[in-house]
Amino acid sequence: MTKVRSVAIYGKGGIGKSTTTSNISAALADMGKRVIQIGCDPKSDSTNNLRGGRSIPTVLDAIRSGKKIEIESLVHEGFGGVICIEAGGPEPGVGCAGRGIIAAIELLRQQKVFEEYRPDVVLYDVLGDVVCGGFSVPIREGVAEQVYTVTSADFMAIYAANNLFKGIKKYANSGGALFSGIIANSVTLPIQREIIDDFASRTGTTIAEYVPRSETITRSELLGQTAIEYDPDSEQANVYRSLARTLLQNENKYVPKPLEAEELKEWAASWSDRLLTEKKNDARAGLESQNIASTIT
Amino acid sequence: MVFETREEADFALYEKRIDLSQTTCPNREQRANGINIYYGKASGLIEKAKSGCLQNHERGFAQSSGCSLNFYLSVRVGTIRGAATIFHAPVGCSSSALGYRELYRGVPVELGRPAEYDLHWMTTNLREKDVVYGAGDKLKRAIYEAQKRYNPKAIFILTSCTTGIIGEDIEGAVADVQPHVDARIVPVHCEGVRSRLVQTGYDAFWHAVLKYLVKKPEKKQTDLVNVASMLSYTWQDRLEIQRLLGKVGLRANLIPEFATVEQLQQLSEAAVTAPLCPTYTDYLSRGLEQEYGVPYFMYPPPMGITNTDEWLRQIGKYTGKSDEVEHLIEEEHKTWKPKMQAIRSEFDRIAAEKGSKVSVLGSLGQGRLLAQMPFFDELGLASPAAMSQDYDNLILEELEGVVSQVGDFDLLVNTFQAAEQSHITTNLDPDLTLTCPFQGGAYKRLKGATRIHALRGDPHPWSTQSGYAGAVAYGNFLLQALKSRAFQRTLKEKTKDSYREWWFKQSNPLYYMKKEV
Repeated sequence: MTKVRSVAIYGKGGIGKSTTTSNISAALADMGKRVIQIGCDPKSDSTNNLRGGRSIPTVLDAIRSGKKIEIESLVHEGFGGVICIEAGGPEPGVGCAGRGIIAAIELLRQQKVFEEYRPDVVLYDVLGDVVCGGFSVPIREGVAEQVYTVTSADFMAIYAANNLFKGIKKYANSGGALFSGIIANSVTLPIQREIIDDFASRTGTTIAEYVPRSETITRSELLGQTAIEYDPDSEQANVYRSLARTLLQNENKYVPKPLEAEELKEWAASWSDRLLTEKKNDARAGLESQNIASTIT
Repeated sequence: MVFETREEADFALYEKRIDLSQTTCPNREQRANGINIYYGKASGLIEKAKSGCLQNHERGFAQSSGCSLNFYLSVRVGTIRGAATIFHAPVGCSSSALGYRELYRGVPVELGRPAEYDLHWMTTNLREKDVVYGAGDKLKRAIYEAQKRYNPKAIFILTSCTTGIIGEDIEGAVADVQPHVDARIVPVHCEGVRSRLVQTGYDAFWHAVLKYLVKKPEKKQTDLVNVASMLSYTWQDRLEIQRLLGKVGLRANLIPEFATVEQLQQLSEAAVTAPLCPTYTDYLSRGLEQEYGVPYFMYPPPMGITNTDEWLRQIGKYTGKSDEVEHLIEEEHKTWKPKMQAIRSEFDRIAAEKGSKVSVLGSLGQGRLLAQMPFFDELGLASPAAMSQDYDNLILEELEGVVSQVGDFDLLVNTFQAAEQSHITTNLDPDLTLTCPFQGGAYKRLKGATRIHALRGDPHPWSTQSGYAGAVAYGNFLLQALKSRAFQRTLKEKTKDSYREWWFKQSNPLYYMKKEV
């Protein structure tokens, strides 16, 4: 009997980790796997695209209600039988979301959710700005075993990935989860690929998959669906299937080598120079200006 | 939500299994649907609990009580011999531990209190900087310091609300440091915000003891009986328990107060775990049985003659000393029953004079709730009502038993809510009302009022409440408190009531309970 594959997926807010995670879940379910996806973000919308855009009550809501907690109120089924759970958290500007994550994960363990539902894969979709102790709980001992991060070629997303590497390195010696790969998102131009590849090589990390921007995703999200549900034969769906297979089979896990602040700045500056030079050349050559994602500072 | 079978209900009523792979226990709310607000008939509570409808409402007005950390652990763990305790907390969380060394001084060395009884505890004194940047390094430094200063066999770490909120990685710090210190590091997850019930603190402590200290048994100590005591048990209680067990050739493994680390490590070698309070010892008993096969029983606690008989009989059963125990009971009855009868006769006489049984309002924790009712019955007292600091399903069965034995009664579940207690005391107007010496209310009344249990440092024989000596000592104490009312009179004359007339006119002591959950 194979062990449960428990994976945490971190990524800068808005970078596409929930899209990525829910598509991976859908792809895994499509392959016949039992999946639990746990959203660890106070926004509580990680699993919306597995449920036609409908949100579910959160674990923290259940704790807040003061009533006796039943597992059934915490878990909800989504597309392909994916079991959806949202940790929940406070509204913006109040309380402590980090403590919320701690309390939610603690409750799921105490309620023996994993023993009850016996998943093949558990995916933790976590807020990428690991700003306090609470958000690192998924990578501590006994929760997830492997970590992937979703990043684009934008500096802010890479900064967040670098920070995540610091967190992983910190917990690596006390049984924490280890890193298994970068999911390069919104990669459409060759230079975006290069940027991320270079970052990976500088930090001793690997790339799990390159995921392009896609109209399929834009359309499917409007309907609150994953690409797997919306257009199962599309190219984008196949990209996610490939990523899901990687996730399932990849045993490779290691401690990443985060860059120091100065190094990171220099690295970003060097790429900035190159991008600006190329842009100038392109403009001179009269080529249409490409959409190179947002500013790189 | 009603269950089909008793088995199904049992399973859902509370968690029986202890999971030592986790860093800590579930809180009592999750583990056994614990609550600390209820007023009504005991039978009503039982029905609600069984049908899963019992809910923990909020209070619109509440008075201070304790938390999982400072109510018990902060003043108990520090007494463990050969150990040091680190409060990983802001400095205030450990303040209740400050008076305790002086408190224990009240017990003379002649009675067996260790002459050298320094309480070794430290606080990491978390400040703003630690909250913002994390305090893992500070904790590690504190552990090294504790090792250096005290060379202890165990170092207990007590967590606080602060460490809980910032998500301190306690286990990570412990994993880092343990290979470099001799002492066994024992993290106890007892932050106050975890639970409304202070009982969660007990479970958290036992979880840590089971997980980090109790050793695989090297041999069976067939004459060893584990007895865990709470804050309300006195030195005289220790002596009485040791006396009784000693008479049948048994030794009491009295924990955790003033116990050695070895005593905690040897819990697995005992013949049986006996209760003083069932819900307090529940987690430990189950854990010891589950992991090491140490049998246990939960009821009765040794309060009152009948219950002490049964308590001893149960112990006799598990230690193969049934005959010796019968002999002991016979002997003890010869000494104590006449004294008990004398007290009973006096209560009966007073009852005859006034035309009804002397009524008493008592209890404190769940254990006392179960133990006192039959004990009052033994004394010929009526107990139309009782108070409990909390309730959870761990005592559901036993509570049913008590109700069937002594009849139904009013029950107020509240953790040291002086206004609520004062309300029912005034409205029920018992002949004698008992209150907690640490956190009870001062009642302005002409009828009897006294303490439920003695202060911890009280060495006097009148402070006994368990065993045969305790049945008589406490019975006698209640009698004296009933008769001698000079103090109450003076208190009523010279001081104002804490509450307005309006308050006592309200029909429900839970006037401030919020209806919606």
